[in-house]
Amino acid sequence: MNLRVSNYFKRSKKIKIFVNNESLEAYEGECLALVLYINNIKNLRLSPKNKDGRGMFCLMGSCQECVVLIDEMKVTSCNVFIKEGMNIKIGDLDEL
Amino acid sequence: MNYKIKYDVIVIGAGPSGVSAAINCAQKGLQVLIVDISHNTGGQIYRAPPKSYKHISEKKLQENKTQEYLSREIKKNNIFTAYNHTVWQVSPGFKVDAFNDISTIQWHAKNIIVATGTYEKIIPFDGWTNPGIIGLAACTVMLKSHHFIPSQKIILAGNGPLLLLVAYYIIEFGGEVEAIIDTSSKFDWIKSTVSLISNPKNFKDGIKWLTKILFNKVPIYSNSMIAKATQHNEYIKVKIQNINTGKQESLVTGTLAVGHGLIPSTDITRLLGAKHIYNESKGGWIAEIDDYLRSSLDGLYVTGDGAGISGAIAAKDKGLIASLALLYDEKIIKEKEFKIKTKKIFKRLYKYELFAKAIAKLNSTPPQLLNNIKDETILCRCEDITKKDILEAIDNGAKDLNQLKSWTRFGMGPCQGRTCQYSVAKVVAEELKCNVEDIGYLTGRSPIRPVPLDRAIGEFDYNEITKIEAAPL
Repeated sequence: MNLRVSNYFKRSKKIKIFVNNESLEAYEGECLALVLYINNIKNLRLSPKNKDGRGMFCLMGSCQECVVLIDEMKVTSCNVFIKEGMNIKIGDLDEL
Repeated sequence: MNYKIKYDVIVIGAGPSGVSAAINCAQKGLQVLIVDISHNTGGQIYRAPPKSYKHISEKKLQENKTQEYLSREIKKNNIFTAYNHTVWQVSPGFKVDAFNDISTIQWHAKNIIVATGTYEKIIPFDGWTNPGIIGLAACTVMLKSHHFIPSQKIILAGNGPLLLLVAYYIIEFGGEVEAIIDTSSKFDWIKSTVSLISNPKNFKDGIKWLTKILFNKVPIYSNSMIAKATQHNEYIKVKIQNINTGKQESLVTGTLAVGHGLIPSTDITRLLGAKHIYNESKGGWIAEIDDYLRSSLDGLYVTGDGAGISGAIAAKDKGLIASLALLYDEKIIKEKEFKIKTKKIFKRLYKYELFAKAIAKLNSTPPQLLNNIKDETILCRCEDITKKDILEAIDNGAKDLNQLKSWTRFGMGPCQGRTCQYSVAKVVAEELKCNVEDIGYLTGRSPIRPVPLDRAIGEFDYNEITKIEAAPL
């Protein structure tokens, strides 16, 4: 099933991003947290003490759960619009 | 964009309330800057779609149309905008620090209008931290702004109108709602209709949503909650429990979305040390405000849902009230104009408040929801703090939220307690047999959002650093 709704908007061009070096196709300018979520990449990072998986939760920049690494910087993926060739690291962010 | 450094007014938050306040101030000749983390106006309720999306026809969602209107009004009134800026500190005086992709910037303003809205209240349950489980409000943003369906099948749980709104859009966009799990009873909803009619536009929307849900025969579990959720590779197993009978049933789904109402954002007013009061039906702790939305600090106004939940339509009017108070305090409008204009708006607001009270009732937190929190359930997601950790600290003598924060690290993580403070306070009050207002609220601390250190420092030359002479030995 196509989880992208196209009743109202046309997406921009198809691009490739890299998640832990694996390529993933999506459309330029889409929200990173959502591109990962609908591709079933839901486990984005590990909690600091128990090392339990965490992922997108509030989608409005409040909870900080969807943090990933882009160019060595920790960023909330819900506030990132993807660009061609973007390199994203997920997992145990303190070990990467 | 080239910013000025000084403004008469800085409005923080470009949702319906912030925009309405900003326009009103600008139209009276004040220099206004509006700041928002997002790339455009709209706030969460009318969040703008990504810039890369192009309309395929004139057919638009009402929410997207409203957002475009807000942006046009901002442009028309020559209001300075700082989109894509996250405010991480506000200090007395007032100084506002914000960062974007590249650097940090500080603006000064004589007056601040805080229009930072709300975040979602989600009462913890076993397994709520599993990736894949998201907020109901997150779903609204995903659907209405980003035009994605979270997964083929989805279960919605919690209470209040968001359950209906999210279900409506999922069906409208071709997805399947497997079940709606509502802590309220059908009777609660019927009771509320008397008050809900006071806001005909929202009431009509509600009927539209419900009709679609009933037509699509979505199973509705009333008086029910999520007892537990477990994550398996491609799906989530959800244990549903009737809060009256205790009867349980299990379902599997792709996405579980949960939400129990909204909590006013008080980050900035707490940081500035304004007085706060507790009001459960307005969403919990809110800045203490007078009828005209003035806080306890001179030049600091609070508007929109952040001043107590009353919804997006009321938010616009609250923006007008706060800005009229500011214009009057600044001696830009006379008392007569101030009184006449605000009186008219109060009449409308009174009706919206009736509506808001009915919604607040539907969003009230039943005790069973709190009793469902197990000792091992994580309360503070950032720091992995369980209910047991909190209870142990209380056993050791902690008596208020700030003590508990120092002892356990709850609320000390990157979210600064936004996600957990409400639930932790309820758990603590229950344990200490006192009211939530007796245990205080978390003292505001900077930064209110994580700020990358290199951007906080900014770019500078070595000779720009103020060198302090060594103290004499």
